[in-house]
Amino acid sequence: MTTFRYILRDMGRLLFHHWILGLLTLITAAVMLWILGITTLFSLNIENLLSRLESELVVQAYVKKDANHDEAEQKIRELNSVYDVKTYSPSESLAKLQEKMGNQSGVLDLPGENPIPWNFEIHVHNANDVENLVKELSAMPEIDDVIYAGMVVQRVSALSSVSSHVALIMFILSVIITALVVYNTIHISLYSRREEIGIMYLVGATRTYIATPFVLEGTLLAFLGALLAVAGILMTYFPGVSLLQENLPFLNTSLINDYNIITRFCFLLAGFGATLGWVCSYIVVARFVHSITRPE
Amino acid sequence: MKISFSGVSKIFEPDIVALRDINLDIKKGEFVYIIGATGSGKSTLLRLITRELLPTRGNVYAGDYDLRKMRKADIPFYRRDVGLVAQDFKLIPTLNVYDNIAFVMEAMAVPPKIVEYRTNEVIDQVGLWRRRFMKPAQLSGGEQQRVAIARALANSPSLFIADEPTGNLDLKTASDVMKILLAINAAGVTVVMSTHNQIIVNSCRQRVIELDQGRLVRDEQSGGYGRNDDF
Repeated sequence: MTTFRYILRDMGRLLFHHWILGLLTLITAAVMLWILGITTLFSLNIENLLSRLESELVVQAYVKKDANHDEAEQKIRELNSVYDVKTYSPSESLAKLQEKMGNQSGVLDLPGENPIPWNFEIHVHNANDVENLVKELSAMPEIDDVIYAGMVVQRVSALSSVSSHVALIMFILSVIITALVVYNTIHISLYSRREEIGIMYLVGATRTYIATPFVLEGTLLAFLGALLAVAGILMTYFPGVSLLQENLPFLNTSLINDYNIITRFCFLLAGFGATLGWVCSYIVVARFVHSITRPE
Repeated sequence: MKISFSGVSKIFEPDIVALRDINLDIKKGEFVYIIGATGSGKSTLLRLITRELLPTRGNVYAGDYDLRKMRKADIPFYRRDVGLVAQDFKLIPTLNVYDNIAFVMEAMAVPPKIVEYRTNEVIDQVGLWRRRFMKPAQLSGGEQQRVAIARALANSPSLFIADEPTGNLDLKTASDVMKILLAINAAGVTVVMSTHNQIIVNSCRQRVIELDQGRLVRDEQSGGYGRNDDF
């Protein structure tokens, strides 16, 4: 406990001694972590939108007249990419079509046998799986025809892929920049006190006692930066979502607008900032202290 | 603390031989002068004892420790038992006299009340009470040296290493520093001091170890600076 008090005091001295550098680090970390947070939320919203689109993405498969529709359904359900299958009889299909046609349903009053065969409405787990599913369905001897929104699938898949890549790149860049800034600050802090560190080690201070104030300094700066970033996210995210919902009403159900989810996300971001600061500081301090205390 | 050098050589890269095959025993409670010309290996010998350096060949033993095989984690604990006074004082410029001395005990997690009591005690012992809140740059060379001595005394070490502690001081101040070192030795602490100061060596007769180009050329009880005391 006594040691911890001394360590906290030394950390205070470090922050006071390099307060301008500390402030710059804090601001940079806050900006980068805000970018990281907003990018992650943007990506999560895109994923949410895509999963909604995917859930609405349907592949229609029609059974050959002489084929057994129960066997075909069983085979389709066994496919990995299939999430759900709804089976429609010819009469159900006709009724559905008539309902869709509304006033113009009279054109469907055909003489003779109902031409619509047994068919399946197939839902997939992932939009990327549709192309393969269509190939698999087309190869089944029981299936006569497969209908799906090909271009929509391709665009949804492409958007999903681009969004994931952009989010990943932004995430990596933000982490690297934040890590470098914290690393550099602690390195300057260490370098300016290298003589002092050497003397401390020479008169019996342990490496842990020497290193801990520097590690705490880096962790605290990154954590405070993360808290600022969280404040920034809370101030910008919800107004941004409201604005989008007003202008693009079809997005209403796709945007994450739950205060609890965002709060939890902010806690995660703050924890991530502190962890990142701790890891960077630990690496630079361990390397520096090792090099300065190594006997010749 | 007892010190032993067994066949110790120290070669700095690429081929500077600082010490050659040193065999030496220093008993607990002894006062030993290490003398020799500049570059003779005095500081290297002291830095081997503080384990700032490792021998290229041979072994150095201090107390119960084999310094070559010592675990990294044990180094701080060993050094807490070694009071070190360097020629360049090695004081922390941003800390005042009090904090320069106190931090040695703080590093050992000594409770603040004891740190305060002991720091004030050693400051008083070296006669710097009125200067205790001054920074090193505001002190004279002799005063800085006394701060270094006070810091080395703070942990009540059993070995006291002084690397030319009177090197930059006038005779009167050097004499004051010597009085402090002799008092420390009188309390049973082993003192190893390197020096160029002939007057001090000749006036305060103690064991003299002389080095020449890294070789131990003289080891004499109650010796003077010159081989034949002709200074």
